[in-house]
Amino acid sequence: MGATLRALRALVLLAGFYLLGVFLLAALAGGDYLLYLHAPAGVAAKLYLVSVLLAIPLVRGLFMLRTPKGEEIAGLPVTEADEPELWRTVRELAEQVGTRAPSRIVLTGDVNAAVGEDARLLGLLPGRRSLYLGIPLAQGLTEAQLRAVLAHELGHYANSDTRLAAISVRGRAQVLRTIAHFEERADRTAGRERARQEKRNTRAAAKGKKGKEAEAGHAGITYRAMARIYIGYAKLYFRATLAGSRRQEYAADAAAARIAGRDATASALREIPALDAAFGFYMERYATLGSETGLLPPRGEVFGGFGRMLNARQLELVELRTQLPTEPSSPYDSHPPIADRVQHVEALPADGRAEEARGAALALLADPERTLAALEDAVLTDEVRRFRRTRDWQELLDGAMAEGLGSLSTPLHRALAFYTKDQPTLPALLQVIDDGQLWQLARRLPLSDEAAAAKGRAFREFARPALRESLNSMALADLSARSLLSWEFSWSQPATVHLPPAPDGEEADLGAAIEAAVADHPDTGPLRALLSHTPRERETDTRP
Amino acid sequence: MTVLLWTLGILATPFVLFALYLAGVFVKELFSPSDDSDDAAETAGKLGLLPAERQNAEHAGPLPAGWEAAFAAVRGGDWKAAAALLRDIGRDWERRSMAAYLLAEMAAEEDGWLLAWEADLADDPDAAVVRARSTVILAWKLRGAKRANYTTSEQFAGFHRTLQASREEIARAAALNPDDPTPYITEIWVALGLGYPHSEMDKLWTEITARSPHHYEAHFSALQYWCEKWRGSQALATEFAERAAARAPLGSLLTVLPLIAHFEHDKSDDTSADITPEMVARVDAGLADAAAADPAHPRLPELRHLLAFYLSLQDRDEMALEQFKLVDGYVNALPWRYEGDGEAMAAYYCRIRNASAQAASAGTA
Repeated sequence: MGATLRALRALVLLAGFYLLGVFLLAALAGGDYLLYLHAPAGVAAKLYLVSVLLAIPLVRGLFMLRTPKGEEIAGLPVTEADEPELWRTVRELAEQVGTRAPSRIVLTGDVNAAVGEDARLLGLLPGRRSLYLGIPLAQGLTEAQLRAVLAHELGHYANSDTRLAAISVRGRAQVLRTIAHFEERADRTAGRERARQEKRNTRAAAKGKKGKEAEAGHAGITYRAMARIYIGYAKLYFRATLAGSRRQEYAADAAAARIAGRDATASALREIPALDAAFGFYMERYATLGSETGLLPPRGEVFGGFGRMLNARQLELVELRTQLPTEPSSPYDSHPPIADRVQHVEALPADGRAEEARGAALALLADPERTLAALEDAVLTDEVRRFRRTRDWQELLDGAMAEGLGSLSTPLHRALAFYTKDQPTLPALLQVIDDGQLWQLARRLPLSDEAAAAKGRAFREFARPALRESLNSMALADLSARSLLSWEFSWSQPATVHLPPAPDGEEADLGAAIEAAVADHPDTGPLRALLSHTPRERETDTRP
Repeated sequence: MTVLLWTLGILATPFVLFALYLAGVFVKELFSPSDDSDDAAETAGKLGLLPAERQNAEHAGPLPAGWEAAFAAVRGGDWKAAAALLRDIGRDWERRSMAAYLLAEMAAEEDGWLLAWEADLADDPDAAVVRARSTVILAWKLRGAKRANYTTSEQFAGFHRTLQASREEIARAAALNPDDPTPYITEIWVALGLGYPHSEMDKLWTEITARSPHHYEAHFSALQYWCEKWRGSQALATEFAERAAARAPLGSLLTVLPLIAHFEHDKSDDTSADITPEMVARVDAGLADAAAADPAHPRLPELRHLLAFYLSLQDRDEMALEQFKLVDGYVNALPWRYEGDGEAMAAYYCRIRNASAQAASAGTA
């Protein structure tokens, strides 16, 4: 099957997607006409009614095909005056790829680059073209690698082997969006119904009646039925066009390799999953460190910190790069597994361009500092932007840790409150231990079946890890409340805690003190000694 | 007329009673059919063999004289009884490792007496060896006896943590009594749990055989390591067992090893694999070994239990019965031990024993 024929088939299938409802309605109408001709009037009347009931969801489905405009991705649109170098690069790449340059560039806050088009006429006609470029992606790639990524994205719109290929790409995007829209609306309807039922149940419960289990029931069933028909068809569509779209991905990779160099393309493909994982880690451990306490890193650092972390954790990145995903990311994904794509690109003949444009891609921006700060305003929600900005990362860490320890509630807290029917404080806990009741208290911890069944030393061994961890947190919280802790911020390692030095000048050994307090025959002496330190030593420290 | 009815009624009474008896038997048979096992148990009882509920499921045979009393004293918190027991045993390594194990089992439950011992006698090698063994036993208790799939990550974490902690104690016990193989034997169970590579196991084995070349517990433990279910394979286990048995002098009881290697890897449902000429020869070698052994060897009953089992499977019931009579009263040994705890163990033992007793009595009758 030639490329044109393939594209034509995709086109017909795409048309079928929109005509599906019409066909089904026509079939119903045809059935009714046959009834009118051949069936006795009484029976026919009843069946008309059934066919009308069946037609309702079909008609609704037809209206649902009108998807709303794609939701605008949160980002920072940049004009040519803002970022001349970036615009020049993109124009140049588009020209080399042989397609129209995008009319808009939007910087986003994720590890992603995409070219999107507001296609008109059900995806048949081209529309305004936008390039979305994730700043975290630019932070992790070299200039050559970023060029490869952009060339690939632009390449989707300019496969020289077929003029119609762009249509199937647009069609694909449109179908995907329609399905997403269907599912969303079905979920929303079902959710509304569930909420209604729950409310009814609360009322019933208030009167002492047992309410029905809240469930979506039949609400949203017409949506879901319709969605199922269209999703089924969409799957058929995707399966039929999958081979073609895979071919296009490989072709886009080849175009990228031609324009940006083979090695840059292959290494960019390897880099993206690694960056993705690293960015997820960064967001969880660094950027959102103060989310509980309402603290934000300094302006520009929400994304700027990612670059610092990448620099500090080069060795871990090397490891991440070697683990390429071998599965497609979703059944709807047109991209072949990254491992296959890397293999295809690396199989191309060497082009001797390994040393090209090795500078950081972020240097394409006119003023990276200013852009990183402006991006925060564009992508952070208003609520988050109202958080207090800390002076530096260290302050953010200190604030987050102090707050976290201040509102601490470990399993040991709960066990202690249950055991003493009193406030679960550290002094109360130490008193319980001194009274020889630690192991009775440990029986109140949440225990696994095995631990609960164990006796003697075996039980103590099962309970000890939880005791050790909770007591450690409680001791840290106590020291933190008296401002005796200092935290060491690091881009390359988890934060470490420093205790006030012991009288002999050594750093106090909290681990050993905890160990003694949860030993088979506990001794709280070392821990009490450690906790009773006054901040005197720290004062001498800070003296010049 | 009335008189006639009365007469008939009186005459009919025995018939009615008989009919009721028959019906009763029928009903009883219907709901709980009497089987041969009752007869077999009766036969065994006549031979003076004990019923399942009177079998000791703690040990494989009677403990050496004086041990029971010492253990009772230790349970009461008197560590001096334990110290005296190990001091009296001295350099009898078979007994020392066995006594240390049994003491350590107690210390793995609660170790107050052992802590007192350690506090009163610093660096006592006997306390050190009991400490090391008790930590390893504790680790295995944390793991539980189930297969890996049914063992939780919490259990595995405790198991590995405790085994790791035991290594230092083992090294300490070995340093305090350099001639004693017991610490190294203890370490085999660490090797099993932590999965020492074969090379490490071979080094450990050199240490053991240099101190006691034909030690029963050492060979038993090492064979477990070489079994397929742990760190070896059927071929490795069989090779180890055959070689050790061939090299050992008569009376050292190591002829038990090929039997265990066979038992550990036998997955068949019938006895065809147990009645091969090779297995018959192994059992014969075991019988000769047992006959030549010191009758007071504390491990002799373990060999006899396995011999009785295989003799019974090989339909050599009279010989089996001879072995059963020698060990009766104790059932904590292979193969019964794998059947489960206490009752299940004893029930399995009695089932096989009674079958042999019945077959033997039928043969002589």
